Amino acid sequence: MTTQSISESPLRKIYGRLGLKDAVKSRRHLSDYLFKIILGMAIIIIVSPFFFVLFQVASIGFEQVFGTGPGQGIEFLFTFPGAGLEGGIRNAFVGTVELILLASAVGIPLSVFGAVYINEYTQPGKLRAIIEFTSDVLAGIPSIVFGAFGFAFLVDYLHIGMGIVAGSLTLAFMMIPTVLRTTQEALRAVPMSLREASLALGATKWSTTWNVTLRSAFPGVITGILLAIGRVMGETAPLIFTAGNSLSVPTEITGPGSWVASMPYTIWAYISDPRQYLQEKAHGTALALMMMVLAIDVIANLISRKVTRRLV
Amino acid sequence: MSNFEHHIEVHNLSTWFGKKHILKDITCYFKDNTITAIMGPSGCGKSTLLRSLNRLNDLVPSFRHTGIVLFRGEDIYGPGFSVYDLRTHIGMVFQKPNPFPMSVRDNITYGPKLHGTKDEDELEKIVETSLKKAALWDEVKDDLDHPAPNLSGGQQQRLCIARALSVDPPVLLMDEPVSALDPISATKIEELIVELKNDYTIILVTHNVQQAFRVSDQSAFLYLGELVEFDETKRILEAPTDSRTEAFITGRIG
Ligand SMILES: Nc1ncnc2c1ncn2[C@@H]1O[C@H](COP(=O)(O)OP(=O)(O)O)[C@@H](O)[C@H]1O
Ligand SMILES: [Mg+2]
Repeated sequence: MTTQSISESPLRKIYGRLGLKDAVKSRRHLSDYLFKIILGMAIIIIVSPFFFVLFQVASIGFEQVFGTGPGQGIEFLFTFPGAGLEGGIRNAFVGTVELILLASAVGIPLSVFGAVYINEYTQPGKLRAIIEFTSDVLAGIPSIVFGAFGFAFLVDYLHIGMGIVAGSLTLAFMMIPTVLRTTQEALRAVPMSLREASLALGATKWSTTWNVTLRSAFPGVITGILLAIGRVMGETAPLIFTAGNSLSVPTEITGPGSWVASMPYTIWAYISDPRQYLQEKAHGTALALMMMVLAIDVIANLISRKVTRRLV
Repeated sequence: MSNFEHHIEVHNLSTWFGKKHILKDITCYFKDNTITAIMGPSGCGKSTLLRSLNRLNDLVPSFRHTGIVLFRGEDIYGPGFSVYDLRTHIGMVFQKPNPFPMSVRDNITYGPKLHGTKDEDELEKIVETSLKKAALWDEVKDDLDHPAPNLSGGQQQRLCIARALSVDPPVLLMDEPVSALDPISATKIEELIVELKNDYTIILVTHNVQQAFRVSDQSAFLYLGELVEFDETKRILEAPTDSRTEAFITGRIG
């Protein structure tokens, strides 16, 4: 309340406008003024790359995604590429959606249940410390390493072969550390006394964990899932050696019929091609991908806020 | 069911957290339809004693005990005794209000649903009676679907009492239930506790001598894990037989 009234007071406005005049008055004011400028510059430096990227990508790819001409707009997303890679990116769009859905279906339950097990069913100790340390290390490992691991272990050693299975499992491995750790944090933030209240009513441990603890932690868990999906959605490196590529969508579980394209892979492939129209398609794909990540972000935020409002 | 004189009896109970010896050879009982206060300075083991009665201490892995706690004549730590049944019969209210992050209604129906009540009408009835018993009905009857954590602190604590009453336990454990509240809410809840005595056996941990005096019929005074005095509250407060009790009452310790 007080801060609000101060920031709205006319005095403050005058001070803000006369900042420079005041600055000359005394050293105190001067250092205050300089500090403000430094902060402002830092903010600009922090946010400008985002706008540069958006501007760069949109300036070349805008027509592809928002244009109304033939093969543009929705058609760009829903037409398969034709001869000479003319046409749309349906293969990549559908491929990314399928890869993410499969990766989430494997990675999210594994990491959420893993976090619940570690936090709620084991005592703090060496095992927990080791698991947390490994997850933290895994979360920081470059994605190309996951790609190499996916190739060596899934594709080669387990004979799964390249395709949608190896690709999405590799993405799932990448999601696990993030979702696991954020879920752990969210569980840790649930007060012990909520669990006790449930147990004191005669609830079993499992019922308490499911109905009270996990439910209270839900907004935090959602945030972690969002972070993880956003991260793997744009990854090329884990898919290069594991997912293959395709001008169509996968029709089989294994073998060459299971090879799958993805949006980041397509961006990478098209942008390394000298043909001008592929440059445009690469940027169009990038723009569409950015918007998809943004959309997931917004949706997850809405869910989380709605749940929070209902729960808290 | 075997014969029993009191709902809860404690015989020679000693407890440890790891190597720390907390309760030392406690023997006492809690009369039915009576409020028993457990008094004593901070850290003397009041909560530990209370939480031994519904086995909530079991959550602490290093917890150990010797001695016997009887609920309706049965050893609650004995083999084959169901801790879930026990906790259905012994409600608990905590120091800080801890409503579940759900609606007011869901807070009350949580317990009954756990134990198999599915009928919507029956659940509605439980919501109403529990909230009425906790003197909260009039304030929330139009907002049953609102999130419980939006209630005021005093309302939250009365909701927690209603939640404990929802499964109709004969015994209520209360661990300093008003110490986190403002004086007006605290008074309201104190009055409520006295009223509940008619239907429940209440065990009330309190740090506050005046409160014990106003509310309770009998009292246990704990000091460093020892049961120093156990008698009618009036007798203990008017004529303490132990110098430690007297020091606590007069405010020299605690
Ligand atoms: N979970 C626990 N682990 C280890 N020590 C504990 C635990 N809970 C309580 N204690 C110790 O037991 C003693 C008694 O605590 P408590 O029963 O909470 O006291 P009171 O309720 O009278 O203030 C304190 O010394 C406290 O540090
Ligand atoms: Mg206590």
